[in-house]
Amino acid sequence: MTIINDQRPPASGAAGLAGVAARDTVAPRSRRRYSADLSALGEPALWGFGGALALGIIMIAVFLMAVLYNGATTFWPKPIERVELTDGTVIAGVERRGTIYRPDMATLPEEVRAQVAADDGFAYRTLYQTANFDLYGDDFRWVADFEVADAANPADFYYFERQTWGVFVGRIAGMTIDGQEMAYDPAVLQREQRAARERFREIRNIERREIGGINHLIERERLNQRRAVLRQGEEAAAPVVAASQERIAELQAEFQELQARANEVRAVDRRYTVTLEEVGGRQITPEISQIVRYYPANTIGLLDKVGIYFARWWEFVSAEPREANTQGGVLPAIFGTVAMTLLMVVFVAPFGVITALYLREYARQGRVTSIVRISVNNLAGVPSIVYGVFGLGFFAYAMGGTIDQLFYPEALPNPTFGKGGILWASLTLALLTVPVVIVATEEALSAVPRSMREGSLACGASKWQTIRYVVLPKALPGIMTGMILAMARGAGEVAPLMLVGVVKLAPALPIDGFYPFIHLDRSFMHLGFHIFDVGFQSRNSEAGKPMVFVTTLLLLALIVAMNATAIIIRNRLKRKYATGQF
Amino acid sequence: MSDILEFEPTAYHVRKSNEGPALDIRNFNLWYGEKQALFDNTLEIQKGQVTALIGPSGCGKSTLLRCLNRMNDLVDGLRIEGQITVDGFDIYGKGVDVIALRKRMGMVFQKPNPFAMTIYDNITYPLRVDGVTKKAILDETVERALRQAALWDEAKDRLNDSALGLSGGQQQRLCIARAVASDPEVLLMDEPCSALDPIATARIEELIDELKGTYSIVMVTHSMAQAARVSDNTAFMYLGRLIEYGDTDTIFTNPKKSRTNDYVTGRFG
Repeated sequence: MTIINDQRPPASGAAGLAGVAARDTVAPRSRRRYSADLSALGEPALWGFGGALALGIIMIAVFLMAVLYNGATTFWPKPIERVELTDGTVIAGVERRGTIYRPDMATLPEEVRAQVAADDGFAYRTLYQTANFDLYGDDFRWVADFEVADAANPADFYYFERQTWGVFVGRIAGMTIDGQEMAYDPAVLQREQRAARERFREIRNIERREIGGINHLIERERLNQRRAVLRQGEEAAAPVVAASQERIAELQAEFQELQARANEVRAVDRRYTVTLEEVGGRQITPEISQIVRYYPANTIGLLDKVGIYFARWWEFVSAEPREANTQGGVLPAIFGTVAMTLLMVVFVAPFGVITALYLREYARQGRVTSIVRISVNNLAGVPSIVYGVFGLGFFAYAMGGTIDQLFYPEALPNPTFGKGGILWASLTLALLTVPVVIVATEEALSAVPRSMREGSLACGASKWQTIRYVVLPKALPGIMTGMILAMARGAGEVAPLMLVGVVKLAPALPIDGFYPFIHLDRSFMHLGFHIFDVGFQSRNSEAGKPMVFVTTLLLLALIVAMNATAIIIRNRLKRKYATGQF
Repeated sequence: MSDILEFEPTAYHVRKSNEGPALDIRNFNLWYGEKQALFDNTLEIQKGQVTALIGPSGCGKSTLLRCLNRMNDLVDGLRIEGQITVDGFDIYGKGVDVIALRKRMGMVFQKPNPFAMTIYDNITYPLRVDGVTKKAILDETVERALRQAALWDEAKDRLNDSALGLSGGQQQRLCIARAVASDPEVLLMDEPCSALDPIATARIEELIDELKGTYSIVMVTHSMAQAARVSDNTAFMYLGRLIEYGDTDTIFTNPKKSRTNDYVTGRFG
């Protein structure tokens, strides 16, 4: 029994059974033999390995939980608190978070000082989102516990999300419907708000899509003129220029017409306003169309809360950002991230695989290939910002500048490709991730058994046929794994992108309805950069903090989704090539 | 130069005759880097017969076999001297089309190595790399090759299943079918039964018996019993040298060299 156990791996059938049985009978004896020396058993090492694994898993789990909790709760509607302070001021806001802090004793009044001193000099304070940035000049306010005289949740306080100026917290004092002043009526306001948003969308549609389209055409005509003049000279191009001028005049007339239409709608819109009153009594009178969403935060029912929660999520993934990215959605960033990552894969896949193929299958193995291999591995360790600098200098300025001079001279001095853009960004990331693909592909190629290659060669297949029909299909799952790693790395990379084309607010998506439809020269938004921008670059990082978590959650979800898709494709391919069609 | 092989580029070639040597090995030496592995081997492989190469491990019999279709070309630092000729053409001569040469030599390996494709695709592989696409030809070849490899009855209903689903013995017969699919002149077998159980081995041996005549077979084997059972001629090799070559009966019953006698009677090796 023991001999069988020693010489054969207990892989299957009788040998496996024999192995298990043998181990059962042998184990007590061997434990007795080693009982004197713990290190010989390797048990301390085992605890060490297990502990390291557990520590890693716990850290990742805590991080994921933090992101998930904060991200998932951000959009839940929370009650508004009206707080009277001991010095007489009254504030109203949504409670954000609280911390223990050490107040400055010198500034405290006498009776509070003793109380704080009793707590070892610590006090508790709460951060309220008081909103109303247009009136207060700030969105948030810290309130210490000892400052609070009275707190309540008044039923008539509403939470307004506005198109501009962010959130407003306050009461509704009255409204003006079609020029008629009247008292607040919930049903009327609800109806009118919907109609007003429709008007708002109409104005936006006219301004963005239609006027934007005309601007695009005018710009194209202008460039056509320039091109004609540059190519044929001032005189020869005169007829072209004249025709083009005529066309521009036509377009301008159209533009005026649209402008007038927009103004008409806007005039109507101005007749519908709502008067809002903050807790101190000051009033503002915005157009109803400015109100994106509003709800009575303290009286709203659970079902409505759920509705608002999902409406906010939907807005987040389907709309454009507002208010310096701290509100609204991130659709352009989602689009930019996905488009850039896919473009990167398109560049990195053939490049990396071909390089690895040559290195492993064709190049003579020796000193030179070793040096190349070491260099490729080292490339993976170069700080990503260095790639950004390289991308900006080589791709954007050198290559893009040359392209501009050759193909877009009429637009100069405005750069077309000679600046950061989605093309250069994905090329830079392709460069950044190509070592991963090369290493993974080489591993996969070298794992293809020699007998397979020999079998193919013995059939009279050429080297290329062997690689094409036997080696590559067998290595494909491994290559795909490398691609997935590269994709995950690329989608999460931010630093180099900041130099080669990511912007905080892109005016247009890289794909739209204007010829040539795919604009690889355009700058784009990216979720990773969005996190950085909202969390650390906005006017009020406190306002952006919830968005950081939500965006992180979304970015993680997006990367998981892209990887899952790639893994599914890989498994499909595995199955497909297991039954091998040419 | 007359010794440039003018093989036809397709798998289908006309055999010139059925007499005389299929392969003529003359004063063949081989070095792996500095180490000489084959010393001055000279033997003729007869057409339509089974030739067994026997000898203890490391004696160079596999090396010699793999030189016959130039599989050793893949090894770095390989150097050869001497000649191996097919129909009077030196296969190591200048400008030889190695791919065309390999199409005339089917090879079966120690471990079954079917490709990760369907059974059908495995067998038609040699033809498809040749550019044969006609379904009729491919179908016909699959049936012929599978019948020759005695696998037709077992595999005819699962031609489009993965070849990896076959048992070890079936896989090896599939590899034989693949080797005979391009209708080669010579079948090279490198210990074709060493990874198989006795029943599968017996089937392969039967198969070799049926295939001889149609193909000239060179097989390397570790089992002297197998060599005695299936081969017509036997070459005994020792430390890279051909010690004795001749009729299998003679080698096993009345060898001329004492070392051969010691080996075949099991006194060493």
